[in-house]
Amino acid sequence: MSTLRAAWLVAMKDLQLELRTKEILTSTGLFAVLVVTLGSLAFYTDPVSSPNVAPGVLWISILFCGILLIGRSWALERENDAVFGLLLAPIPRASIYVGKTISALILLFTVELLLVPLCLIFFQIEPSGIMLPLFALVFLGSLGFVSTASLFSAVGIRTRARDLMLSVLVFPLVAPALLAAAVATRELFAGATMTEVLGWMRILAAFDLLFIGFGVWVSRHLLAET
Amino acid sequence: MKLDFEEVSVARLAKSYGPTLALAGVDLRFNAGTVTAIQGSNGSGKSTLLWLLAMLALPTRGTIRYGQYGTSHADGLRARIGFVAHQLQLYPGLSGHENLVLAAKLQDIPYAEKRATDLCDALALEEYWNRPVRTYSRGQAQRVSIARALLHEPRLLLMDEPATGLDVKSTASLVELIEQEKQEGAIVIIVTHEAEFANAVADRVLHMDRGRIVEREA
Repeated sequence: MSTLRAAWLVAMKDLQLELRTKEILTSTGLFAVLVVTLGSLAFYTDPVSSPNVAPGVLWISILFCGILLIGRSWALERENDAVFGLLLAPIPRASIYVGKTISALILLFTVELLLVPLCLIFFQIEPSGIMLPLFALVFLGSLGFVSTASLFSAVGIRTRARDLMLSVLVFPLVAPALLAAAVATRELFAGATMTEVLGWMRILAAFDLLFIGFGVWVSRHLLAET
Repeated sequence: MKLDFEEVSVARLAKSYGPTLALAGVDLRFNAGTVTAIQGSNGSGKSTLLWLLAMLALPTRGTIRYGQYGTSHADGLRARIGFVAHQLQLYPGLSGHENLVLAAKLQDIPYAEKRATDLCDALALEEYWNRPVRTYSRGQAQRVSIARALLHEPRLLLMDEPATGLDVKSTASLVELIEQEKQEGAIVIIVTHEAEFANAVADRVLHMDRGRIVEREA
C-alpha cells in the first residue's frame, strides 16, 4: 500500500474518532478562546498599538492549542496500545506520521477558523484585504509546527518523558518558523499587502518542506521498534 | 506484496530492555500446521518472544527467519502475521466493526467492509459490533481482537493470553478456531498461564524461565 493511501486511512480514523467525541476540538477551542480573551484584556490598550500585540497573542494561542491537540491525538494511540495495531499492518511506517500530521493539521485549522476572527475582533483590527494572506500564513505556520510536534510525539510513544521532550525539543526547533510567522502577521496587521509578506511565506514554506521531509525520513526508523 | 513461509525459526534470540535481560538466547523452530503453547512465570520472556516474532520489537542479538525471509522484508511479512496482544490494541472510541474495517483496509484486503462483516457474523460479534469498544467487557473486546488477527488469514498467528476474559462457551469456540487455523496450515503460537487450555490446543508446550526455554513437552 502506498504511503499516502495508508496515511489517508490513519487520518480518516482520527477524524472519525473526533467527529464522534468532539473531545479535542472542544477542549482546544475553549482553550483558544480563553487565551485570546485573556491576551486582549491584558495587552489591548488602543487600536494603534494593537497590531503590534495581536500577532503575539495569536501565535501563542496557536502554539499552545497545537501542543494540546497533538498531545491528545497521540494519547489516543497509547490508549489500549492501539498504535501497535497500526504498526502490525503492512504499511510504510512513515504513513503513520503523515496520517497523524494530516489529521492534526485539519483539526488545528478548524480551531484557527474560530481563533483568527476572534483575535481580529478583540484587537479591533480591520479584516478587509488581509484575510486571505492571514489564513495562508496561519496555515503555513501551523503546518511547520504540526509536522515537527507530530514527529516528536511519534518518538514519545516509547518515552515516559514525552511531555518534557515536546516542550524542550519542539519549541526551540519551531522557533524560527514561529518568529517568521509572527513578524509577517505583524506586518499584515500594520497594513502590508500579500506581495510584501510573500518573502516570509516562502521562508515558512521552506521550513515546512524541510520538516515534513525530515519527518518522513526519520519516522521510518523511529517507529520501527518499541 | 504478501510473502509466504512454511516455518519460523529463531536462533540465539536475545532481547534486553536496558540492564534487564528479557530473552537470553532462544533457539526454536515452528512449523506450518502446528500449535505451540508457551508457559512460564511473569517476566520469563514469553510476551517478549511474541513481540519479537510480530516484529514490533527488534532483537538485541540473534535472528528470526520466516521461511527464506528475514526481518528486512517486514512489510511483506506483516501481511501474513496476526497478533492478539494482551493489551488489545483496539481504538476504544470506534466500534468493534469499525476497528475491523480499519484493520482490513490497512491490510489492503479487497472488500474490507464485507470481510469485516463476515468475520463479525462468523464469530457471533453482531450483537455488539456497533457499540464503541470502550463499552465492551474484556471478553467481548478480546473476541474483536481475535477477529482482527484473523482478518487477513495469517500464516503466523501469535496469541498472548487469548482466553483472558472469555466465558466457557467462548473459550470452547476459541479452541475450535485454533484447531481450524492449524488445519489450514497456520503456525499458531500461544502464550498462556492456563495449563488446561494449553493442553487442549497445543501440539507441544514450552516452558520458559528467566528468558530461556527450560522444558519442552510433546
